[in-house]
Amino acid sequence: MPVVDVDPDELRHLTGHDEKDDEELKSDLFDLGLEFEGWTEDDEFQLEFAPDRLDRLSVEGVARSLRYHYGDDRGVYVPTTNSAEWTIEVEDQPEERPYVTGAVVRGLDMSEDALESLIQVQEKLHATMGRKRAKGAIGVHDLTMLKGEAASDGTGKSITYTSADPDEATFVPLDADREMTPNEVMAEHETGQTYGDLVADFDRVPAIYDAIGLFSFPPVINGRRTEVSEDSRDLFIEMTGTDQWTIDRMCNIVCYALEARGGKVERVEVQYADDAPGEYAGRTLERPDFEVRTKTVTLDRIESILGVDLDPRDVVDYAERAGLDATETRSEDGVSFEVEIPPYRVDVIHPLDVVDDIGRALGFNSLEPTYPDVSTVGGRHERSRLEDAARDTLVGLGFEDLLNFHMTNEAENFDRMNVAPDDDCVGAAEPVTIQEPYSEDYTILRTWALPSLMMVLENNTHRRYPQDLAEIGLAAWLDDTENTGAAEHRTVAGALARTDASYEDAKARLQAIAEAFDEDLRTPATTHPSFIDGRAAEVVLDGESVGVVGEIHPSVLVEHDLELPVAAFEFRLDALE
Amino acid sequence: MKRPQAQVAVLQAADAQEDRRIDGVAEEADLVPEAATRAAFELEADGLVTVTEATLEHYDLTEEGERYVRESLPEQDLYEAAIDAGADEESVQMGQVIGASGLEGGAVDIALSNFARKGYGRIDSGEITADPDAAPGRDPEMHALEAVADGRAEDADADALDQLERRGLLEISEQTVRSVRLTDDGVTALMEGVEAAETVDQLTPELLTSGEWKDVEFTEYNVEADAEDVPHGKEHILRQTANRVKDTLVGMGFREMEGPHVDAQFWINDCLFMPQDHPARTHWDQFALERPDEIAHLPEDLVERVRSAHKNGVGPDGEGYHSPWEEEVARGLDLRGHTTSLSMRYLSGHEIGELEPPERFFSVEKVYRNDTLDPTHLLEFFQIEGWVMAEDLSVRDLMGTFTEFYEQFGITDLEFKPHYNPYTEPSFELFGTHPETGDVVEVGNSGIFRDEVLSPLGVDCDVMAWGLSLERLLMLMYGFEDIRDVHGTLCDLELLRETEVMR
Repeated sequence: MPVVDVDPDELRHLTGHDEKDDEELKSDLFDLGLEFEGWTEDDEFQLEFAPDRLDRLSVEGVARSLRYHYGDDRGVYVPTTNSAEWTIEVEDQPEERPYVTGAVVRGLDMSEDALESLIQVQEKLHATMGRKRAKGAIGVHDLTMLKGEAASDGTGKSITYTSADPDEATFVPLDADREMTPNEVMAEHETGQTYGDLVADFDRVPAIYDAIGLFSFPPVINGRRTEVSEDSRDLFIEMTGTDQWTIDRMCNIVCYALEARGGKVERVEVQYADDAPGEYAGRTLERPDFEVRTKTVTLDRIESILGVDLDPRDVVDYAERAGLDATETRSEDGVSFEVEIPPYRVDVIHPLDVVDDIGRALGFNSLEPTYPDVSTVGGRHERSRLEDAARDTLVGLGFEDLLNFHMTNEAENFDRMNVAPDDDCVGAAEPVTIQEPYSEDYTILRTWALPSLMMVLENNTHRRYPQDLAEIGLAAWLDDTENTGAAEHRTVAGALARTDASYEDAKARLQAIAEAFDEDLRTPATTHPSFIDGRAAEVVLDGESVGVVGEIHPSVLVEHDLELPVAAFEFRLDALE
Repeated sequence: MKRPQAQVAVLQAADAQEDRRIDGVAEEADLVPEAATRAAFELEADGLVTVTEATLEHYDLTEEGERYVRESLPEQDLYEAAIDAGADEESVQMGQVIGASGLEGGAVDIALSNFARKGYGRIDSGEITADPDAAPGRDPEMHALEAVADGRAEDADADALDQLERRGLLEISEQTVRSVRLTDDGVTALMEGVEAAETVDQLTPELLTSGEWKDVEFTEYNVEADAEDVPHGKEHILRQTANRVKDTLVGMGFREMEGPHVDAQFWINDCLFMPQDHPARTHWDQFALERPDEIAHLPEDLVERVRSAHKNGVGPDGEGYHSPWEEEVARGLDLRGHTTSLSMRYLSGHEIGELEPPERFFSVEKVYRNDTLDPTHLLEFFQIEGWVMAEDLSVRDLMGTFTEFYEQFGITDLEFKPHYNPYTEPSFELFGTHPETGDVVEVGNSGIFRDEVLSPLGVDCDVMAWGLSLERLLMLMYGFEDIRDVHGTLCDLELLRETEVMR
């Protein structure tokens, strides 16, 4: 879940509630779903919250939510914007990263706190909506350091989002003191090494130029020339990405944060060339996109979800307290509301999301629980009943019932049992394998359960004997005839570790199980690499060969550091059906 | 008449004329004293003997007392040395006498104080004189010591015994002594003849069928001694917990679901309206499979509806996600990260046919997460998953159902904290009060499935669902601190054996 660091003094300042002490603030934040996780080294709150309200990734966003919560603000707020002076011309940009958006914010007083918050909201947006910059990446520049070209339509100034040869273009990136090419940045610069992979296989890399030259290499790093400092007053914000909607919404969240700091938002025109890749070729977009969307939701739906009757005026009130605006409309179908959604609310994508906001404003915990007045007949799945019956039988025979992991590795499942996947015996099968396992202990699903029991014996040689262990659990292997490509079975395994364990001990228990389930048991001799030759048999239940029983081979015992004999069996649970 | 062996022995050893001590009787009858005493009381209850009790003083010499019996009292040694030095005629330097007596250390003080007390002579200004008539050879304390040592304490002088106890040479304790005497009935019984009943170790089928059991006596066991360990099996504690949960849910009208552990991302994630570029869908969180890598068949119409929900949303105001959606990704196989995949399969109608409301379903099954192994997190664990399908379900119904469920496990005062899940809206994290510690703890995650989930599945009523980890419930109920001790091959057999069963 996202974590945001927030200075409580900043919160008091931005909400205008100097009287709130830290504890009150924490409690109010908890009510909003922002949980206090601890203090940062700089005495800031560390707040954790669910990843829907990404507009709360800045102290300004958190303060805005608090002001609605306190009732200081109501309804939708959309900042006014000044008309565009700057244009982003888009041409020959990489088709893998075709989209760009932007805004200008002027008149900021960038205190240390404001600068920190701006850096934080960028980082947090990169990590969430931006999908680690792959989907959207933000660049913020000191506007006074940009030298615009004359825009192609003759009015205002422009910069250009295009592509560059990664070995030719040069600029001085942030945190560096020399000119570098994009390839050098990716190879040598710390940030370049982190994010270079995103564009490493592009023929030409994303690049933004002004009249002076290259000043940003998105999504990797900005140039040093336009670095924002506490002296910066006017900012140019650009975002590039793989989805226009996503970067436009990221841009909105940043603009709202800066506007709350006293900045004045100025629109930017994004002019896609006629032959530019992507969905907007030939079109000009005015950004930021502060369009207010609407969702229509009926009073019926609100009432049925919340389980209470509501006065339409109260619905409007709850909506406003949530920072939305609701307009009541009546038709022959009943009362419904047209609800306006502010441009920073990226999480509202369906009328149900509005109902949730209304429920939160109403206070879900004020609702009285009711037990749904519908009757259904309960019952266990038949396989689960079978598994329980078999487990009860094993426990009755004195077995300790075990529960082991289904995931294991080839060494445990095969090698240490003397079995190879292509042998023709119980346990031998091509296993289900995990992609990019990060622990070598867990690389496959087990094809049988006896190796798990042997591992438990191995780990408990210091414990009392006899150790009679059993497990009923999953075993799986590759099988083309299955829809998922994997056959999944429940398997029954038992092991008797005692100084005088013999084949007869294991068979005696098998007989008892067969009798309990009224199955005919036969045990024709077989060979199995995990068992001693001449002391191993197939388990044949009602004519079908379903498992193996015998005395474990000394080499397997020694491999598992065991100093006493083990008799064991394993068979498929469905044989007992 | 037949009487148990011990009773016969006591009867025969008892006398009609005099009380006989039971310890003596026991010795004669070759019984342990406790058995003889018990037999005596049994006989008394039948009126064949009387049992009387007396309190006797019992004397034991201390180690020092025993030494003096073997040698002599220190004051006697001093007296002899004094006579040898001529102190019976005139006073002698005390040091000279002590040196000659061979007394050392604490014995010197003992000798000097008793010498004076008993009037063997006088000690004055470092000189010693001896009374020639003192006759320490007839010392009553020495006599008493010797009497006790010979078991003739009754011959000893009472004052001397007290003195010996004060000197720490003797320990006096009280002892209850029981004696038996034959009554007239007892005499009659003996005259008529009393036989010992046979004693047996093991009750046998022959004894039962022949009726001989009526005449036999069973040898007594030490019933307090520990018995041998019996190897015994027990259902795994997590299975017991799972069954407790299953029982509870079946009782609440839920039916159990069942389905594949290896499943397509389609069922695990896409049906749940998780965007394909959702951070939790990377292999860092879920186990994607190398082999098998793709499901053979997905219901085509359902795939199209799910794609449309992701791309365009559901309903006139639905927006969907601005994320890529590829069927190829949906076909990829994972180990399921949650059993909500089963809920999707059941709700789609592709598992057991179309469902009509109302329905309740659950499962308690394993799920797999690529998490860091630590005391509270395992790579595989059990998820309790449950859902209710009905017309017009409200969050109040959700609250009522879950309140009922958790109260079955002693978790009360449920709180519903509004939360966010991609697949439910509204969503709630569930918090409850721990039955033992009183702490408020997270006990689950819940919500009402979004239209974007239900509509593609063809469900046009409401479905509310919740999930929680079984291990978490177990840890709350049992206070286990490290789940690895019970689940997996690192388990400790002793801990499993010692864990109390769930009731």
